Amino acid sequence: MLAKDQREFISQHMKRNKLRVFMTILAAAMGCAFLIIIASVGFGLHKTIQDEVLSSRIVTEVELFGKENGGTVTPEELAAIQKMENVKTVVERINVPGSPVVNLDGKEGYGQLVYTDLEAEQAANLALFDGEMPNDSTEVVVGYHFAGNFLTDEQHEELGNAENYLEKQEELAKPIRDELIGKTISIDITDYETEEVVSTQTYTITGIAKKPRKDWAYDDKIYADTSKSAEVLTAFGIESPDKSITVHATDFQHVADLTESLKGEGFLVYSVTEELGQMNMLFTVIQIGLVIVGTVAVLIASIGIFNTMTMAVTERTREIGIMKAIGAQPRLIQRLFLVESTAIGLIGTCIAVAVSYGMSLLVNIIVPMIVFSSVGEEAPTDMTITVSYIPWQLVVVAALISIGVAVLSGWRPARNATQIDVIQALKES
Amino acid sequence: MITIQDLNHTFKIGKKGQEKSVPVLKDVNLEINKGEVVAILGKSGSGKSTLLNLIAGFMTPESGSIQVTGEELVGKTEAEKAKFRLQNYGFIFQSFQLMPGLTAFENIELPLKLQGVAKQQRLIRVKELLQQVGLTEVSDHYPNELSGGQQQRVSIARALIGRPSILLADEPTGSLDSETEQEILQLIQLLNAHYGITFVIITHDEEVARSAHRQYRMHDGAIQEELTYVS
Repeated sequence: MLAKDQREFISQHMKRNKLRVFMTILAAAMGCAFLIIIASVGFGLHKTIQDEVLSSRIVTEVELFGKENGGTVTPEELAAIQKMENVKTVVERINVPGSPVVNLDGKEGYGQLVYTDLEAEQAANLALFDGEMPNDSTEVVVGYHFAGNFLTDEQHEELGNAENYLEKQEELAKPIRDELIGKTISIDITDYETEEVVSTQTYTITGIAKKPRKDWAYDDKIYADTSKSAEVLTAFGIESPDKSITVHATDFQHVADLTESLKGEGFLVYSVTEELGQMNMLFTVIQIGLVIVGTVAVLIASIGIFNTMTMAVTERTREIGIMKAIGAQPRLIQRLFLVESTAIGLIGTCIAVAVSYGMSLLVNIIVPMIVFSSVGEEAPTDMTITVSYIPWQLVVVAALISIGVAVLSGWRPARNATQIDVIQALKES
Repeated sequence: MITIQDLNHTFKIGKKGQEKSVPVLKDVNLEINKGEVVAILGKSGSGKSTLLNLIAGFMTPESGSIQVTGEELVGKTEAEKAKFRLQNYGFIFQSFQLMPGLTAFENIELPLKLQGVAKQQRLIRVKELLQQVGLTEVSDHYPNELSGGQQQRVSIARALIGRPSILLADEPTGSLDSETEQEILQLIQLLNAHYGITFVIITHDEEVARSAHRQYRMHDGAIQEELTYVS
């Protein structure tokens, strides 16, 4: 029998039993849709948390804490890392032990003084909100929120009474920030213990760093050149200062490899891929669990397919007998029934995929609205909640399970059809 | 064309484990030549339908040999027998055995579909045959919309469409009135004369048997006598 004729034969039979076939397709679609939707919640939560992790830090960054043998990272080693494949730049920041008090236009404020290689910082994506990068060591870039540290007492009081703290802070700090470029600041570095000023440095502000992406992130750093750290460290009598080193990969996809390479060379490192690795493992377990739960629904639907196909074989015993009598191969009869059950599974899966995407879209609109409205003003404005996410891999797995189960459900009835006795079948009226 | 030698068959009846063996065919020997119309007469339970079922390959005999067009049927697998039927046999049944969900046209077309004949060719052949059996007007009717005679004509057309060399007919006029019976018998004779098809007709009706070239009578599972020869 030609393939086209087989298709026609099957579709003719399915049309003749429209209602039953429709109900079976519906059951198969519901089972498959349940599988996709329930698993999509696992994928959705995974995505939400992953996005949150990735957006709260620089994803191409690999933090370098030192060496596994307890030693410190030497400048030679840093130079070697800089030359490694997929390394964009290495940023080395020196942390100041004292507490810096900043004087701006006669107003006293604070700032987190960081000595760093500004060229490397720029290469590592230190973007400016305003102004330009320093040309020499007497110039600095300040963080976006630096201006907020110079509010007057009245402004602080006003801020304390404000309904929306962040908006008010932005409003009060803006006039100060707008005037910052070109201003000279003097920084008194005070010893925590003796409260004596151990060093005073004066800088001109040439740039303001871009606002961090997260609302809660507060950047009041003063990015000064590394060469200026010497006098402070000498004043404190520190020979080997506390450094934070970050290695920046050229692209996120190289971070995992770079992290592994650095580990292999005996460095103590940590990158977002490590965090994601542990998280991914946990979510993979959850997703597999959800797929198994969903598969139970598909198996329940398979009972419907099995029942329909068994009924189809029973109802068509005489027809099968006639076909066998006039020369239909048992293999052909088996194929006709198998293709019919597969078609039920396939149509059901297609409907399920379409419905699942629709439901997923709807859930992703409605659920965050409910969540945010119930949380009220405390809701983070910059957070995106993905309740349901359907990656193509999930669709493939669900389709394979659903169609596979449909084929298996149709297998036995199809096999039974081939074993129908012609003489007995022809006796049926 | 068909050579049957020492054919024996037994039915097992009764509960499993306590079955009784009832012999239905006893040392049947039969020779049917090409282009002959042979009638096998007998009362109910004489074994004539069993003989036809064995020739058709619907059953496997206990012992003996069935050779059709030089090929031994006994020992063939189900798939081989199905292929053999499709290529060599046409069937006419007492209760017509038409597919209820298919029109007259589609029922006649079915063996060609099973043979994998292309649609265009099927169309030509079915139309031609519909004309020959006088069913052109009702080609799009379903079996339940046809009279008994029309249904049997569809059944004959379906049996002929694959151009078989042998046509096996089990009580072909059993469900028809005497007038329609005559029409069908004439059609059988016409087809035999026109195409040279070998007919094996199982019947209990002497009238039907008389239309055959040769007649065999079956009694208690044995072919007892060869009756007349009509040329």
